[in-house]
Amino acid sequence: MALITVIDDDPDILETSTLVLKSKGHEVLTASNPDDGYKLITEKKPDLVILDVMMDEPDDGFFLAQKLRKEKITTPILMYTSVSKTVGFEYGAGEMVPVDEFVEKPITPNELIEKVDKLLQKK
Amino acid sequence: MIEEQKNSNDLKPNILIVDDEKGLREGTKRLLEGEGYSVQAAENGTEGIRLGTSEDFDIAILDLKMADYDGMEVLQEIKKVRQNTVCLIATAFASFDTAIEATRLGAFAYIPKPFAPEELFYQIQQAYKHRLLTLESEKLKKEREENLLELASEKSRLNTIIKSINDGVIVINKTGEIVYTNNAVLKNLNINELNIGDVASEKIPATITDLVNKIFDSSDKKDKSYSTQIEIKPNNELFVEAVCSPVPQPDGSLAGVIVVIRNITEFKKIEMIKSQFVSMVAHELKAPIAAVQGFINLLLDDQLNLDEEKKKDFLSRSEVRLKSLLTLVNDLLDISRMEMKTKQRELQNINVIDCMESTIELMQFEISKRNLKIEKNYSKDIPLLHADPNEITRVFTNIISNAVKYNKDNGSIDIDLSLQKNYVSIKISDTGIGMKQEEKEKLFSEFFRAKNEHTRGIGGTGLGLTIVKRIIDSYYGKIEVESSYGNGTTFIINLPINLTN
Repeated sequence: MALITVIDDDPDILETSTLVLKSKGHEVLTASNPDDGYKLITEKKPDLVILDVMMDEPDDGFFLAQKLRKEKITTPILMYTSVSKTVGFEYGAGEMVPVDEFVEKPITPNELIEKVDKLLQKK
Repeated sequence: MIEEQKNSNDLKPNILIVDDEKGLREGTKRLLEGEGYSVQAAENGTEGIRLGTSEDFDIAILDLKMADYDGMEVLQEIKKVRQNTVCLIATAFASFDTAIEATRLGAFAYIPKPFAPEELFYQIQQAYKHRLLTLESEKLKKEREENLLELASEKSRLNTIIKSINDGVIVINKTGEIVYTNNAVLKNLNINELNIGDVASEKIPATITDLVNKIFDSSDKKDKSYSTQIEIKPNNELFVEAVCSPVPQPDGSLAGVIVVIRNITEFKKIEMIKSQFVSMVAHELKAPIAAVQGFINLLLDDQLNLDEEKKKDFLSRSEVRLKSLLTLVNDLLDISRMEMKTKQRELQNINVIDCMESTIELMQFEISKRNLKIEKNYSKDIPLLHADPNEITRVFTNIISNAVKYNKDNGSIDIDLSLQKNYVSIKISDTGIGMKQEEKEKLFSEFFRAKNEHTRGIGGTGLGLTIVKRIIDSYYGKIEVESSYGNGTTFIINLPINLTN
């Protein structure tokens, strides 16, 4: 079983995600902003990061992901996004965010577990 | 021209008789006057020329053989000045040659002397008809010339108009050459020059010439236009729309293509803002849905074995999220109604103090929960405002709700109402967490909510102050904000007393 960090500014999402992950035996650490999240990642070195794309400001999740990759922290990142690409957030190849997987909210527990398992196996 | 009123049937022409033979001259004069003609007579060529040039006679009857001038010379002199005077040559020495010569010089007819009255009248009538026809055709000719002149000035006026319009206009002929262009083309395509005769494909963007060729290549549908949008300068600095339409020839075949190039940069910017807004709205709507969906998924999962208390907690938290979702949707609808101006205003004379008091009353629960003290300072001279009470209450509610939410426990809210010249001034200060300068700047934009260590757990749609600002703007009022980070915020609203003006 793995250590997973969930970073999201929505306390309800944090709680439900934690519950789902814990039910599968994972250990979960949560943070509600990128700064606390960054601290958790560098100190606790989790096996997987689940990161919300829009936290304080749009792009906050992106900035954290980029910061981690710049510092050669290669922990797999699963990015939560509640904005579909069809409404204007489209990414060109050059500005592709260095994350391993995107999921669009809302997500069912099964989907979440499936994606998490896949990323953990890759590792 | 007097001739306009003349009619060959009822009006008699005025006639000049030039003859140096007194008997014949006066006899003819008497004869014609007897018929109602107005007649003047000249006793020699010199006098004939003088009279015939100084007045515009309808008809001149000229004796061919006179002592000073012969009739042909008189005719020529008169014709130089009065080219429409119809001249009849009268002579006793009629010959075929003189007849030809007289006609060549512009004589209308040739009357052999002595003439029978009927012959004379007949010739005069014919001459007069001829005179009227000539004048009529002269008149038409002049009108046509005037029209052409008008047309020429119309053409130059049109040219000036096309040259000065803000849309670029290019006309391209079948061989792909520029045959017309105006100044706006250079500006809108960001090019230095474009001249008549240039090859279009070498000077203007291929996306435009492709459409032009499409029109030239298509055999049917000669009335079909094509349009395209082109980013001339990147980063939305210059965006244009080019509309290409066929220019038909009178027979319906294709003469060329006209391209109109319009600067649509501002529209593009608005489009972008709209799409960003939609994207933000989608995000804001999806967040509570995702949260509720998360709770429901857990509640439905039998394997989790949630206890009753947890289940109840999830349900009540779902309810909170749904309520906030509804508030958000209502706020969005309000903004949309304000934008489309479909919101019906119910204007009435309202008492601002009453309005404020009822707002505070409604929020009493939240106020007591945080143990906030309300300090009121209402002037007595505040006049009634002619406004929609719902809108004014909405403004007060949103501002006071912020003053409660962003306050510190046991803090206070100061509410001042006063009359300042032509304005009712509403000042609402709190002792809350305040704002940083950069937060203050974004305060009235949609979905902006200050986020820092103090604001965690404070809910809201991020639309409250957007709505406040729009309502106040619609009453030609003003809203200002003063804030010091960590110490509190003051909103000052000034509403003109005569709100409807």
